[in-house]
Amino acid sequence: MDIGTLGVYLCLFIALYFEVFLLISFLEKQPTQKTTTRPTHFPTVSMLVPCWNEEKTVGKTIESLLALDYPKDKLEIVVIDDGSTDHTLEIAQSYTTNPQVKAFHKENGGKYTALNFGIERSTGELLGCLDADSFVAHDGLIEMVKSFNSDPTISAITPAMKVFKPRSILELMQSVEYTFGIFYKKMFDNLNAVNVLPGPFSMYKREVFKKIGVFKHAHNTEDMEIAFRMHAHGLKIVNAHTAYVYTTVPQTVRALIKQRTRWSQGFLQNAKDYNYMFFNPRFGNFGMLVLPFGITAFFAALYTASYVVIYFFYNTVKNVLDLYATGLPFQLPRFHAEWFYLNTSMMTFLIVATLCMTLLAILIGGKIAHTKLTLKSYLSYIFLFGFIAPIWLTRALWGAIRAKESAWR
Amino acid sequence: MNWRRYFFAFIITASIFGTAFYAAARLDARRIADIRTAQESVSTDILSSEIQYELLGNLDCKTISQNQVLSSELNSLASRLSVAENNLGTTNAEVKQLKKQYSLLQIKDYLLMEHISQKCHVKPVFVLYFYSNAGDCVDCGHAGDVLTYLRQQYPGLRVYAFDYNLNLSALRTLVSLRHLSGQLPAYIINDRDAVYGFKTLDQIQTLIPELKTMSTTTATTTSEY
Repeated sequence: MDIGTLGVYLCLFIALYFEVFLLISFLEKQPTQKTTTRPTHFPTVSMLVPCWNEEKTVGKTIESLLALDYPKDKLEIVVIDDGSTDHTLEIAQSYTTNPQVKAFHKENGGKYTALNFGIERSTGELLGCLDADSFVAHDGLIEMVKSFNSDPTISAITPAMKVFKPRSILELMQSVEYTFGIFYKKMFDNLNAVNVLPGPFSMYKREVFKKIGVFKHAHNTEDMEIAFRMHAHGLKIVNAHTAYVYTTVPQTVRALIKQRTRWSQGFLQNAKDYNYMFFNPRFGNFGMLVLPFGITAFFAALYTASYVVIYFFYNTVKNVLDLYATGLPFQLPRFHAEWFYLNTSMMTFLIVATLCMTLLAILIGGKIAHTKLTLKSYLSYIFLFGFIAPIWLTRALWGAIRAKESAWR
Repeated sequence: MNWRRYFFAFIITASIFGTAFYAAARLDARRIADIRTAQESVSTDILSSEIQYELLGNLDCKTISQNQVLSSELNSLASRLSVAENNLGTTNAEVKQLKKQYSLLQIKDYLLMEHISQKCHVKPVFVLYFYSNAGDCVDCGHAGDVLTYLRQQYPGLRVYAFDYNLNLSALRTLVSLRHLSGQLPAYIINDRDAVYGFKTLDQIQTLIPELKTMSTTTATTTSEY
């Protein structure tokens, strides 16, 4: 066995170990079903909506917040226009006739500055963030508040994120990915190791910002950094799998790669900033499993993708040269119906096992958040994700390396 | 921190790896058994043909020639042996043993074919091909590809492929009788003098002018044997 193949086996072992770990966690503590019980206490809530050139979706986002099942006098909606150059501000201001809605304008400074601006100008005991391209389910806030009420030690909560009306192949692919995300976020919750508080509808107790400070630039991933910082200060983050939020996702490959490059590069750079948490039992499963696995998975995925690309490139070139050398005509590979000719190597079994585990995780994710995925969605995920993901991983690594060089100057 | 969970996850993952290894090994063992069964079947067929030949002599050439069916069985065996060699490696003891048995079957079939062609005045087209996959013959892979292609195109063409480095006395005798120099790849076409070095498809077709009179098919596969 050559060293390249050995590396792939190591990657498969890591991937399987992580999936097995999460499945054990699922079996130990299965998510509860949604109930119709009302919260015993309704704290005041401020929903912060930072937006920059979101004229197409901001109105619908505000309407989804106004339609929330929550006492009107306990919910304020704070829209912060971060220097948009389109009609975002006018649209937001058109809703201020409703006493629940406040709209502010500030100079463009980035999302984290808009969120901090909103924190200063809001009054709620609970603070929610909602990207202006996302829409909360009617009972989403009630479900979040029920979670906060259930445990006073909870400092922040993430929702179950779903793709808003997926239609194209790329959206369907992302809908499977988000469903997978619902599973592993819930399992991270079981392990007290939620690693990100995403922009669409994460909620915080106001006291969190008093204890650990407000949002930072954090390499354009302020939602990830604040989760890292909360873990560093021992603050509890959970996942409310019954609180649904629907988000619009990138509709072109270019936009998707740009978004994911930002997320992945942000992860690398934040992981570097918080490197003292790695393999440190003081930070529980977050330091012992989630952070080390995240970095390992990043490089394992890049390694495996590189191996596959080199393997196919090498074989293609070799086959072309062979045909040239022998003078044989091109022939398609012959398919043998007999079992004898099937590839039954150890690696094949392990790849199948890893895929089955992933499929199982997606199915559980779908069951947790009542998401129905079509065969087309699964096929889009299987045939697209593996080809596109290595592109943003490579770009993220390159970006992180370049950022490191800049910091040294 | 629940360290037991970390430990159990490791045990389960290791078990999955162990199961994959066991399943792959079991299926490889079944392949070896499958090849052995096929070889026994071919061996029986050859023995049957030999006995039939002894019984009939040259009295009934039509019956004898109708029963020369080994070419396709040997081809199938070759392709299976190639899969086993790819999966288990060229140095695997089981594979080497199967290759020896396969080589013996080829020699027996070749001898029987020679007898029948002399007695019955038929002119089979055959190639004795000597190769090595020990890393000392860079062109043997290409030569094998060309012969495999020809064998698929011309079902009547009998290609007997021998691993030159196989430690088999019968094979050594054949090499000695044919005065092979040791240069590889080597071809003996229809009992003519040995030809050395890799030959492209066009070159080998020129070396076997009898191919022009043979019927063709469009089947495709690849095999070293």
